[in-house]
Amino acid sequence: MAAAILLGLVIALPFLWVVSASLQTETGIFRRPPSWLPDPVTIDNYGYVFTGKIPEAYAARGLLRSTVTQEAQYLPIGLQNSVMVATSVVLINLLLGTLAAYTFARERFRGQAAAFSFILTSRLLPGMAVAIPTYMIIRQLGLLDSKTALVLIYSAFTLPFTIWVLTLYFRSLPRDYEEAAQVDGCTRFQALRHIVLPLAAPGLAAVGAFSFLFSYDEFLFALLTTSSLNSKTVPVMIATISVNPDASYTLIAVGIVLSIIAPIILATIFRRFITSGLVSSLGRA
Amino acid sequence: MQAEIGLRPNLVRRWANGVPAHPWLTVAPVLALVALFTIFPFIYAAVTSTRQMILTLPDQTPFVGLKNYLDVLQDASARQAAVNAVVFSVVAVTAVTLLGLLVALLLNQPIRGFGILRALVLLPWAIPLVSAGIIWRLLLHGDFGAFNGLLLQLGIVHSYIPWLSSRQLALGAVIVAHVWREFPLPAILFLAGLQVIPPDVVDAATVDGAGAWQRFRYVILPLLKAPLLIVLVYETMIAVTVFDLVYVLTGGGPGSATTLFSWYAYAATFHFLNLGQGAALSFIMAAVLLLFIAIYLRLLRVGRDDT
Amino acid sequence: MARKSLRVWRWAAMLVALSVLTAGCAQGGASSGSVHLNFMVWSYGIDTIQDNIKKFQSSNPSVTVSLADTSWFNYHDTMATKFTAGGAPDVAYSSDHWLREWVSAGWIVPIDQYCPSLASYKDEWAPYALQGMTLNNHVYGLPYYADMVIFIYNDKLLKQAGFDHPPATWEELTSQAQTIKSKGISQYPIDIPMKKDDPWTIEIFYSMVYGRGGHMFDSNTNPTFAESGGPAEQTLSWLRSAYASKILDPAVFESAEPDVVKTTGSGQHVFTVLAKYNLAELNQGQHAQKGNFKMALMPGSQHSTVGFVRFYSLTKAAVSHGDAAVKASCNFLQYFGGKTDGQYKVVKRWAVEKGLGFANLPLYDDSDVSKSINAWGNVDLERQQAKTANVKEGLTRWWGTWDIYAREQIDNAVSGSSTPSQALQNMNTKWSQLKS
Repeated sequence: MAAAILLGLVIALPFLWVVSASLQTETGIFRRPPSWLPDPVTIDNYGYVFTGKIPEAYAARGLLRSTVTQEAQYLPIGLQNSVMVATSVVLINLLLGTLAAYTFARERFRGQAAAFSFILTSRLLPGMAVAIPTYMIIRQLGLLDSKTALVLIYSAFTLPFTIWVLTLYFRSLPRDYEEAAQVDGCTRFQALRHIVLPLAAPGLAAVGAFSFLFSYDEFLFALLTTSSLNSKTVPVMIATISVNPDASYTLIAVGIVLSIIAPIILATIFRRFITSGLVSSLGRA
Repeated sequence: MQAEIGLRPNLVRRWANGVPAHPWLTVAPVLALVALFTIFPFIYAAVTSTRQMILTLPDQTPFVGLKNYLDVLQDASARQAAVNAVVFSVVAVTAVTLLGLLVALLLNQPIRGFGILRALVLLPWAIPLVSAGIIWRLLLHGDFGAFNGLLLQLGIVHSYIPWLSSRQLALGAVIVAHVWREFPLPAILFLAGLQVIPPDVVDAATVDGAGAWQRFRYVILPLLKAPLLIVLVYETMIAVTVFDLVYVLTGGGPGSATTLFSWYAYAATFHFLNLGQGAALSFIMAAVLLLFIAIYLRLLRVGRDDT
Repeated sequence: MARKSLRVWRWAAMLVALSVLTAGCAQGGASSGSVHLNFMVWSYGIDTIQDNIKKFQSSNPSVTVSLADTSWFNYHDTMATKFTAGGAPDVAYSSDHWLREWVSAGWIVPIDQYCPSLASYKDEWAPYALQGMTLNNHVYGLPYYADMVIFIYNDKLLKQAGFDHPPATWEELTSQAQTIKSKGISQYPIDIPMKKDDPWTIEIFYSMVYGRGGHMFDSNTNPTFAESGGPAEQTLSWLRSAYASKILDPAVFESAEPDVVKTTGSGQHVFTVLAKYNLAELNQGQHAQKGNFKMALMPGSQHSTVGFVRFYSLTKAAVSHGDAAVKASCNFLQYFGGKTDGQYKVVKRWAVEKGLGFANLPLYDDSDVSKSINAWGNVDLERQQAKTANVKEGLTRWWGTWDIYAREQIDNAVSGSSTPSQALQNMNTKWSQLKS
């Protein structure tokens, strides 16, 4: 159907262009109009990022000068940082978030409602309002320019959502299995581990995917607290490269392509879980 | 109630069961971490907004009460930013909701191959906002944008359009990028909503002679009320805090055409280095958001203690 | 039983929390006797900088240097955060237009006071550079590079249109541009960066005003730009009519320096006003029109322009780290901004490898340098322009804040949503507000 094709194009064209641009020459993309099919095709820009070999077209005759930004060579390190931070945040969410959510779902204790409400409304302040005080906290902990700082901040930002989703999820599971297991002599914790978690796998996958995407995509706090390759994440790097006068736009395109590979793979594999997670957390009235 | 009365014996029994002695043990670390990055910064921002704090005058931070707030209310650019934010939100939320609904209706049909489309739909939402912004900049730039090139090739225009340089078009361009990025969310929510509508209800309407539009208007739409309300409220919250896109696409320009309120707060804090005013602006935003969250929670009825 | 376990739990939890919180406080210990410096730059030529650092470290084995960088667009704001909330580096790039702001906030300290051996270098600097680094008779840095804003044109396309010389006045530029446009050689012959968040926007505006022999402020730093019919208003009016008659690219409001360079290099535009190192880029980089670009004196009766200097500064953080850190920083400054074995090695490297301008006048006599400049530029024309290059006027503590506001007003005037005189009035009002 025409509508379906249109939708597909609207979604895909921006991605297609950035991939195409990453394979073009600098003079190529500045033609009017630029060609969507790279002509000539060149993988030199990718080669530069991964091997440091300066593309032939960039070498100026008789001078040592290279007009391509060396910053692009650090993209693989940025990717590493981003993935490491995001993975750690996922682990924290799965560990701490699951425990807390299970407690909310199955226990009754004083101050429960207040604690839960606090968790739900805790991310209401826009990021920039807390940016400087957050920076000060990180500095006080001696964690500036560290992946640890990012893990802490992002965990604080993602745990509320994780707990919310998982609490709803656990609550929706019938207690029969856990109670049966307890009659059989399992401790609460063992019941959680062996019975509930497998049943809640879709919910866990959903919050895992969310936490990863949030941490990977985040920009403002990464911008403020990172300053060197120790901790710079991909969004900060590509934002920096994109305003560097030495960077060819084809190189920037390479940066973008590299930055979106992980989220795209994740979103594709975990599509169903993300969808159901979104629906159950936002859509349930 | 029961737990409170029988606290001690309960504790012993649960301890024997291997449960942590008190539920707070699993909840407290999380609360502490979240509080560290919410309560402390919140209080700091509150305190800062009542002082004059300009970074280049570090020694003069007198208490000025509500002066920062009054300055904001009297500042024409702040009012302009608020107007921009309202315009942006109204248009963006409407567009995102409509597009999401249309896409959901489309994808609800059990046609082969739509599975691929459904997978594709999630992608714009998953990538970093900064990446999306730079992609759209590469597409829309008045001198080398690929979208401009496409329009030229198709003969739709005879010259590149400076989308991001025109006061009238720039806000629209940001909205387009925003909608492209956000529409998957409503689409998914509406799709889920559509999929729980019993087919008999729709079939009954068809049998009664209702056309497609009437079926939609009188049968389907009422059943989508819940997701619709949630989408509207949630997307409005997102629209009010839009920032990354403005940062990458326009920097708030041209002039002040795309200076949304959230951008204005950022500029006050990080460009003009007026922390006091930035804190006040953020507080105002927080108040607005709090209102929306209250509405939102009401809708979800989570506020009531149900177990 | 349960109670005792509870207490144990609580203590354990507190200990864990305490150790986590204090773990970060322990600083990574440098080996005794060695000094560690933090050096902050904006993201340009990082590889080159790191190579320079390596060379410095090998000749100063007791010093290790860590490099951190952030983009030029963010640099000022990032540094402001670091200086106030903590985490400031020992040595950092700075610029003449931030000098007053950073000195009055106490963020950087005088070089002549803390590194007296470096004081004599100032005798070899171009006047505008010395001006840009001096405040209250103290010198606050050593130049990283100094350069000017110049007028660049595509010689090949100009000749194609039938002209044999570049324009000497803005009016001549208008008529040349109109001819070029009508001949179909370029749709928008003039392009300059006017994006609101590009710091170059204001420098270029200043240069155009200076070219006419005008001033923005008087010698007492009082604004003169709002003068009715004055050079600033003339410049804004010229820009406005160039935009309206479509010889100025309508995409200027979304174009920052890299955009202008790349589209001019691709042949879309013929005339531009940019910092001089871009001429090197245009003639040697990956551009369809590379090699065709030349520099001309800034149009206007006085041909004057803006000269600027970016420099290495010594920060209050270095001072707070003690004498050893200060001494190491001075050696660092010496290596990067001064002479080694009688030569300005690092400055020369930037000039020859990247085409960056320099404040150290003796380098003009270096044959390597003049040869490399002539490969893409014109040494004689450059020296001539340098004679009439001036620092930006009005560089007070609040200039940075005013600058951001001013750019928006300039954009408004050029796009037509405001008038030149109104925009300048607004800028004037804002200045008075900030001053108080």
